Amino acid sequence: MNEEAQFKLQAYLDGELPAGESAGVQEWLARDPEARALLAELQNTNAALAGHEAEVKLPETRDFFWSKIEREIGRQSVAATAPSRKSFWARWGWRGLVPAGGFAAVCLLALHLANPGAASAEFVPELELASDDMGAYTYRNQEDGLTMIWLYDRSSAAQSAQSSTPAILASK
Amino acid sequence: MKTDASQSSASDEQLVEAARQGDMGAFEELVARHRDKIYARAFSMMRNEDEAVDLSQEAWVKSWQRLNQFHGESSFGTWVTRIVINLCLDQLRKRKRQRTESIEEMDEETGGVERQMPAVTVNPTERLERGELRKKIDAALEKLSHEHRTVLVLHEFEDLEYKEIARTMDCSIGTVMSRLFYARRKMAALLADLKTEELR
Repeated sequence: MNEEAQFKLQAYLDGELPAGESAGVQEWLARDPEARALLAELQNTNAALAGHEAEVKLPETRDFFWSKIEREIGRQSVAATAPSRKSFWARWGWRGLVPAGGFAAVCLLALHLANPGAASAEFVPELELASDDMGAYTYRNQEDGLTMIWLYDRSSAAQSAQSSTPAILASK
Repeated sequence: MKTDASQSSASDEQLVEAARQGDMGAFEELVARHRDKIYARAFSMMRNEDEAVDLSQEAWVKSWQRLNQFHGESSFGTWVTRIVINLCLDQLRKRKRQRTESIEEMDEETGGVERQMPAVTVNPTERLERGELRKKIDAALEKLSHEHRTVLVLHEFEDLEYKEIARTMDCSIGTVMSRLFYARRKMAALLADLKTEELR
């Protein structure tokens, strides 16, 4: 007997056979002792399981179990209403860097266009950041005409200057 | 829902309504009424007391948070049972991701030795006393893989149809039929083979 036939027999037992197929299965059962034996085994297993699930009880007292649930409900509702204490980078990560970086680049470009002659020697860009959570360091290499800007998360920088994530924008 | 007495005599529906209004006492009564059933379902799937306690506790916390999503399509107890079943399945999936594929796992779908096994013609549970039968079934369930055990639990104890099991277990109906068939065949073999001393 192949798998398809076995599964069909099982579906017949479970009342899951598509309409109109039951009569065919009954005819098959009437002429095939192997199918009848398999059906009997499946029926015996079902009958054994029906209503005989082991009775297990929660091994904790009502008060103790409830106190844990109550505490967890309270903890989670406080966590849900408390303002987020995640750092800027944890909340926004690199997604925040894209608009901030774009804004910085626009500033650089605006300064450059406003004062094109300064690019060779005296060009010192000025940055205005859109977020109070962010800070920036700039470095200008006059020789190469390169400006580098580090964007960092103020809160993580307060803990450790080395933990800030540098973002480098370059402009010539 | 002011007093303990009124809570204990209230219906589940009344308690749910009171709990929705923020009455923790009403929710505590609901927990007290259904906690053993929820724990039993978690234990039947996880086969571990600590995990079952933790997951049933988590199910109660989630049910409190989702009370507004309960619209009475099923009984409250059934609704929380579905929550704990889903939590157990999530936990089992996490566990499965952490373990490497084995021959036993491949046998989940193809049936392993049960595929070639002749039908057990004698009813192995006949004339067993009810408590003894329960012990025997519990010992046999313990020996099944969690995929086989889960599909049996959902079909035989929770009375779910194939398509509902497929949705719950996030698999196809064909997989459900296959797992259920081989789970039953394995159970038949285990019930026939389990010796009395193994049950003590």
